[in-house]
Amino acid sequence: MAFLREDTQTTAIAPGNSGPAGVSATAPAPAGPRRRTRSKWPARGELALLLGPALIVFIAFVLLPVALAAYYGFFSWSGYGPATDFIGLRNYVTILTDPDFHQALSHNAFIVVMSLVVQGPIAIGVALLLNRKLRFQSLIRVLIFVPYVISEVVVGLGWSLMLQSNGAVNDLLDKVGLGALATDWLSNPSIAIWTLLVIITWKYVGFAVILFLAGLQGIPEEITEAATIDGASYWQIQRHIVLPLMGPTVRIWAFLSIIGSLQLFDLVWIIWGQYVASTAGTSTMATYMVANGRNAGSYGYGSAVAVVIFLISLIVALVYQRFVLRRDTAGAITGGNI
Amino acid sequence: MRFTKVVAGSAAVLLGLLALSGCSSSGSPSASGGDVTLTFWHNSTTGAGKQYWEDTAAAFEKLHPNVKIEIQAVQNEEMDGKLQTALNSGDAPDIFMARGGGKLADVVKAGQAMDITSGISDASKSAVGNSLSAFAIDGKNYGMPVAVLPSGIFYSSDLFTKAGITTPPTTIDGLEKADAQLTAAGIDPIAVGAKDAWPAAHWYYNFALRACSQDVLNAAAESRKFDDPCWLTAGKNLQAFINTNPFNDGFLTTAAQQGAGSSAGLLANHQASMELMGAWDPGVIASLTPDTKPLSDLKWFPFPDVPGGAGESGAMMGGVDGFSCWVNAPKECVDFLNFMVEKSNQEAYATAFQTLPASQDAQSVVTDPALKDVLAAYNKAPYVSVWLDTLYGQSVGNALNVAVVDMFAGKGDAQGIVDAVNAAAAKS
Repeated sequence: MAFLREDTQTTAIAPGNSGPAGVSATAPAPAGPRRRTRSKWPARGELALLLGPALIVFIAFVLLPVALAAYYGFFSWSGYGPATDFIGLRNYVTILTDPDFHQALSHNAFIVVMSLVVQGPIAIGVALLLNRKLRFQSLIRVLIFVPYVISEVVVGLGWSLMLQSNGAVNDLLDKVGLGALATDWLSNPSIAIWTLLVIITWKYVGFAVILFLAGLQGIPEEITEAATIDGASYWQIQRHIVLPLMGPTVRIWAFLSIIGSLQLFDLVWIIWGQYVASTAGTSTMATYMVANGRNAGSYGYGSAVAVVIFLISLIVALVYQRFVLRRDTAGAITGGNI
Repeated sequence: MRFTKVVAGSAAVLLGLLALSGCSSSGSPSASGGDVTLTFWHNSTTGAGKQYWEDTAAAFEKLHPNVKIEIQAVQNEEMDGKLQTALNSGDAPDIFMARGGGKLADVVKAGQAMDITSGISDASKSAVGNSLSAFAIDGKNYGMPVAVLPSGIFYSSDLFTKAGITTPPTTIDGLEKADAQLTAAGIDPIAVGAKDAWPAAHWYYNFALRACSQDVLNAAAESRKFDDPCWLTAGKNLQAFINTNPFNDGFLTTAAQQGAGSSAGLLANHQASMELMGAWDPGVIASLTPDTKPLSDLKWFPFPDVPGGAGESGAMMGGVDGFSCWVNAPKECVDFLNFMVEKSNQEAYATAFQTLPASQDAQSVVTDPALKDVLAAYNKAPYVSVWLDTLYGQSVGNALNVAVVDMFAGKGDAQGIVDAVNAAAAKS
C-alpha cells in the first residue's frame, strides 16, 4: 500500500502534557491573572511564528489547489490561458458514466480489500514471530523493512525488468524445470492485477510489521506473565490478550493502507507506463486522472477527476474515523472524556 | 522583539513562496540590439543528436555575439506535458519543438506561438519547400521544419535471407506470408513498442491511410470525429492482421526506443526482424546496437498495399519535426530558425540524426541505403499525411492511441477505436 508518509500516531494523549514547549510560560497556574495578561501577546506571537509557516504552506499547497481543482472542474479547459468555457457538471457526468473510470475504481477497490486481507495476517504473523527472542532478530527485521525504504521508482523498474516475458522470473522458472508456469506476468489482463498485488505486498508488508511490532512492545509484560501463571498457553495468550490489545495499532494500519490504496499511482505508472495500465487491467483512479487530464491536455476534465478522487478518499476516511477509529481517538481528537 | 521576528519570518516565507510560484520575469520580449538569451527545448537527450544542437547553438552564438542560447534536452515522452505546463505558466522556452497538426493548432489558438510568416527568409523557403506547410495554420506560418519523417517498415535483410525471403512484401498478404516464413525460421517477425502506445497506433494510422481518402483524413482534422465507414474498415483490417500473431512476445510492456529490450533495441540486436517506424529509426537503432554503430543490414520497404481502400497507392504516413517560437520570444528566435535550415547545418543534422533533412539542398548527404529508399518513396508519394494523433490534437490522439493498444491486447475491436475517438471530445 502506498501509505501516507505522516505518522499519524493517535494514541490518546492526556491533555495536560501535550502542549508545545512555548506554553510553559503560561502553564504554572498559581501565577495569577496579572501575569496571564502580560504574557498573552508574546504567547500569541510565538504561536504565529511556530504555526505561521506551516499554515502558509498548507494553504498554498493543499487548500488552494483543492479549491482551484474544484473551480477548473466546471470548465472545458485545455490548460492554456484562463478557463472560459463553463460547462457546469458535464465533466462529472462524463466521469461517472465512463466505463474506463468504473474499471479504475474497481481496481482500487480490489487493491483496498486484498491489501488488508493479504498483508494483515502476514504482518501479524511475522510481528508475533519477531517479538520473541530469536537469533538474527534485528537482521530479519531490517530485511523485512528494506523494501519499504526503497523508492517506488526503483522497485517498479526492478520488478518490471524481472517480470517481462523474457525477464529473470520466467528464465528462473525455465531453469528449474517449471517452464510451463512461465507467463506474461505484466501484459496478460487476467494476471496483471495479481502481479501488482504481489509487488505491493512485498513492498509494504514491512511497514505493517514495524507498526505491529511497536504495538506489541507497548503491551506490558506483566499481563502476559500473569496469564502464564494462570496457566494460559502461548496461543491462548496471543489470541485473547495480545491481539485485542493490538486493536488500535491494527485499526490505524488499516486506515493508512486503505487511503494509500485509494491513491495508488507511482508503482503502476512506472511498471505499465503512461498508456497501457488500463489495457493491462491495472489502472487506478490516479493513473486515470493523469492519462485523461494532463496527457490528454484536458486540464478541466483532469481537475474534475481529482475532485472525485478527493471526495471518495474523504468519505472513506470520515466513515472510517466515525465508525472504526472512534474508540481509539476519543479524547485525543474529540475532546471527550477518556 | 518577538513580533518583529514573526513579521520577518512570515515575510521570508512569503518571499519563498513567490519564488517557488515562478514569478520570474520572462526576459525582454522582442527587444533587440542588447544581450539576448534564448531558451531552447529539443528532444535529443543522448549521443550525436544532442551534440549537434550544442554545436549548432555555439555556431549561432559565434555569428551573433549578443545572443546566448540556453539548451534543455527533454525526453521525448515528457515533451508534450512539460511544454504545456511551461506555456501555461507564462515562462515558456523561446524555441520549442513542434510537429504541426492539431497539437500546434491548440498552441496557436491559445496565442502562445509566434507568427513567423514574414521572418522566414527566401533562402529557407526555397530550401524546405512544401514541408513548411505542416506548420501553416490559417495561411500563417508558425514553425520551421528540420526533418521529414515518413514511416514505413524497417527490417533486417540478414534475417529475411535467413528465413528465405528474397523480396520485401508489397501487399498485406505478402507481409503475412513473410511473417509466417520468419516464424517458421524461429525469428520474431515484427517488434512493436506498445508500452508507448503510439508505435502500436502507427499500425492503425497506416491501415487508415490505405482505407480512407485524403479528404476523409483532412475532414476528420476539422470535425475531430470518425464518422466515415473507412475508419471501421481500417480497424477491421488491423484486427485481421493482429490475428495472425505477427508481433513480439510481451509487446504490451515493450517500450519503443529505450534500451535493448525496446522494439528498436530488438531490431538492433537481431531479436526481431521488422518494425514500423518513422525515418528517425536508423539513428535510434544505431544507438542501441552492441557497438553503437549503424545496423549494417538495415533496409526499408513502404507500408504494404491493402486491397479495396480509398487511399491512393504510395501515399505515406509520417511526421515533420520542426521548431516554433514562443509568442514572447526575442526576434532573434526567427534568425535561429533560419540558421537551422541552412545547407551545412541541415547536412550536419541529417548525419547526426541519421534521418532525412527538411532542406532539399541537404538531401544529398543521405547515404544510408534504408533512408535512400525512404527518400525515393517520399519524393514519389502523391501525398503525405501527418501522424493522426498529431493531426487530431492531444485529446483525441491520446484516446485513439490507447484504443488501438486495447485492440492489440485483445480487449477492444474496430468499433471500440471509433467510439473512443468520438467519446474523447466529451473529456475536454
